[in-house]
Amino acid sequence: MNSLIKSYGKGLTSIFLGLTAIWIVVLIVLPQLSMIDRAFTFEDRGGAAATLAVEIDRAYEQVFQINIRLDELQAEKDDLIAGTSSAGQQEGASSLNPFAAPVPAPSGGASDLNPFGTPSAPQANDRSDLNPFGAPSVGSANTVSRTLAEIEAEEAPLLADKGDLEERIATLEAEEQATSDTVGVDKSYSLKNFTMMSSVHLQVFLATIGYALCVTILAFALCYPVAYAVATTTSRNKVAILMLGLLIPYAINELLRIFSWIMILEKQGILNGFLDLLGIINMEAGEGFRFVASNGAVFTVMVYAYVLFMVFPIYNTIDTLDKNQIEAAKDLGASTWRIHWRVVLPHAKPGIAVGAIMTFMLSAGSIAVPSTVGRGLHPDWFSQVIYRRFFEADNWNQGAAYSLALLVACIIFIMFNMWVFRVGIRDIAK
Amino acid sequence: MRGNDVILEDLSMNFGDFVAVQPTDLKINAGEFFSILGPSGCGKTTILRMISGFLNPTRGRVVIGDKDMSGIRANARPTALIFQNLALFPLMSVRDNIAFGLEARGISKKVRYAKAEELLDLVALDGQGDKLPTALSGGQRQRVAIARALAVEPSVLLLDEPLSALDLKLRQHMRAELKDLQRKTGVTFIYITHDQGEALTMSDRVAVMNKGVVEQVATSDEIYAHPKTPFVASFVGEQNIFKGKVVGKENGYAILETSHGKLFGQNTHGLNEGEEAILFVRPERMSLEEKQGQQNGLSAVLERRDMEGPFVNLHMRAGDQSIAIHVTNVAQTHQPLGADQKLWFSAQDAVVMRPGELASE
Repeated sequence: MNSLIKSYGKGLTSIFLGLTAIWIVVLIVLPQLSMIDRAFTFEDRGGAAATLAVEIDRAYEQVFQINIRLDELQAEKDDLIAGTSSAGQQEGASSLNPFAAPVPAPSGGASDLNPFGTPSAPQANDRSDLNPFGAPSVGSANTVSRTLAEIEAEEAPLLADKGDLEERIATLEAEEQATSDTVGVDKSYSLKNFTMMSSVHLQVFLATIGYALCVTILAFALCYPVAYAVATTTSRNKVAILMLGLLIPYAINELLRIFSWIMILEKQGILNGFLDLLGIINMEAGEGFRFVASNGAVFTVMVYAYVLFMVFPIYNTIDTLDKNQIEAAKDLGASTWRIHWRVVLPHAKPGIAVGAIMTFMLSAGSIAVPSTVGRGLHPDWFSQVIYRRFFEADNWNQGAAYSLALLVACIIFIMFNMWVFRVGIRDIAK
Repeated sequence: MRGNDVILEDLSMNFGDFVAVQPTDLKINAGEFFSILGPSGCGKTTILRMISGFLNPTRGRVVIGDKDMSGIRANARPTALIFQNLALFPLMSVRDNIAFGLEARGISKKVRYAKAEELLDLVALDGQGDKLPTALSGGQRQRVAIARALAVEPSVLLLDEPLSALDLKLRQHMRAELKDLQRKTGVTFIYITHDQGEALTMSDRVAVMNKGVVEQVATSDEIYAHPKTPFVASFVGEQNIFKGKVVGKENGYAILETSHGKLFGQNTHGLNEGEEAILFVRPERMSLEEKQGQQNGLSAVLERRDMEGPFVNLHMRAGDQSIAIHVTNVAQTHQPLGADQKLWFSAQDAVVMRPGELASE
């Protein structure tokens, strides 16, 4: 602060600090606060009332079913009391049966017109006996043996159930009345936006964290050797070439870089074309692998997209390592593995931590890669869920809650990372 | 621990067109404290790296204890290197640093820690094992580096100017310690330095190098008293230099015609009459009073008098030539500035050589 005033004077320093303060407040604090506010505001969008309505409908349906059964039982009871048999019920059934309708057989000339010459009329009359609909009360013969006591035993629990259900309907309807009064009106602070996360969304959330970890580990496995090679090479030209090789692709827009992978991985893409050339598949016959929309494809593209954020922090730390230490370890008889494990990796820890944090945050929050390469199909990224909450489900509160959850997960990852690598904020800032 | 001899056979190293080390033959005896002395860029570090195995020689080979080292990598050679900046592992404790070489050999923690304690004792650092190297003083770090190198029981210890980062007092103290340690362990020490004081005080023998060539290998006394080349003469210690032409020679002495008259000196290169030559004479071998047998005399004006403590450094001028004289500070002396003085030195203390490259100041 004092040094700033010394080097730039009071006027410039206050302008600089003022702009910084405005930037922090307007672009970081306010949006984040608004986001947090939204996340914890539960706005009843009628969802609860709808759920209640469905439940009430279900209860009515159950009552209806019970009533039917009760009616049947009642009828059975009546029959038993009357002592009459059900015989003769079938009378007239054949005449009512639409299938049994006698085919008109007018003149004998009709049979001449029939190219098949099939005399159908007499057969149609016989059909009434075969008609399955013509014997509805075959089962009634079994119930005859049931006693009154047995029927009443079945009746009792049904009546009890019916009573319970009617009671429940009453309470649910009262609740529904109460909720529907508040729909769209009641905004209250609660954790509901978080707790109402469906199991599918939770799964996507956890999978995204897992995927992001995979991407981070893959990126590290790829970047560490590269960073080590660049940092330890002695030739100046080689460093320049390697750096250019890494930097030039990053001068190109991220979306273009992602789409270049689409060109490679698509079913009609370069990779399949190459396999075709090798004779492994026949593209003309429609053969070919669908590489996109798979974990492998999304991981590959993501590692490629964020590799620099891993390479440079690691490169920077290894670059500051006194190369004599590597030689000293070698001179003392250490194997390559031990040199890395005991000398290089411990020194590179802050860089690895920074690289891991950056890559993890970027890949956990990435939306361009999963929606372009994953086609929004697979793997489903949590960022896509958040997007859909905001703009498709039009539920900004839940979207805010979901993104806050992702932010918290990322912060936890950062803390965990710093703890694992035993590095402080200061080391990371370096 | 026992030292081994190191033999360099026709060893040379080129980096592209640049010849870092000209073909060199050298035998370093087992258990010897051997120094390679030379200005920076003379190729001494290159030789060290070829012995340690970090560099493959362009030609020739290194033999350590009758074993050809060609194709044997640094981590398998019986050498241990102490780096100029020590290269201690800053994230490991002192004990782990010392035990690292044993760890690399798969020796159990108990055994290697016991060995580390032993070495900490040897270098007088007992009880400091748990500290990090950064918590130690410069001299202590030095000793940790030595202990770490000795832990793997090398037969040859290579030291790459390890004292250069220390202040003068500590450096002088560490010289004695290094020498002592070398005697105690019996390991062959090969010590690289550009500091002639270090080389002369510690070494059994010194090799003086310039531009990839070993110019002279001899004991410290020999190097100082009887340099073989103008470079060695001018690089080691101070010299007053007179240029001239040989006009006569007798009994191994040459007579040189210079702008200060005829001067006599030892004819080390066996020069003949008419040849160009240079004469070297050390400041402490010149005097203001004529002594018995001092054939050479010339007159000069005293320009400056520097009181160095044990001796007084007198800067004289004779024509366009500046001359330095060291007068031992045994009695109160007073030389008036600007006065004409006569300087004397004996022919025995002067060396006449064929002109060659001189060490730049």
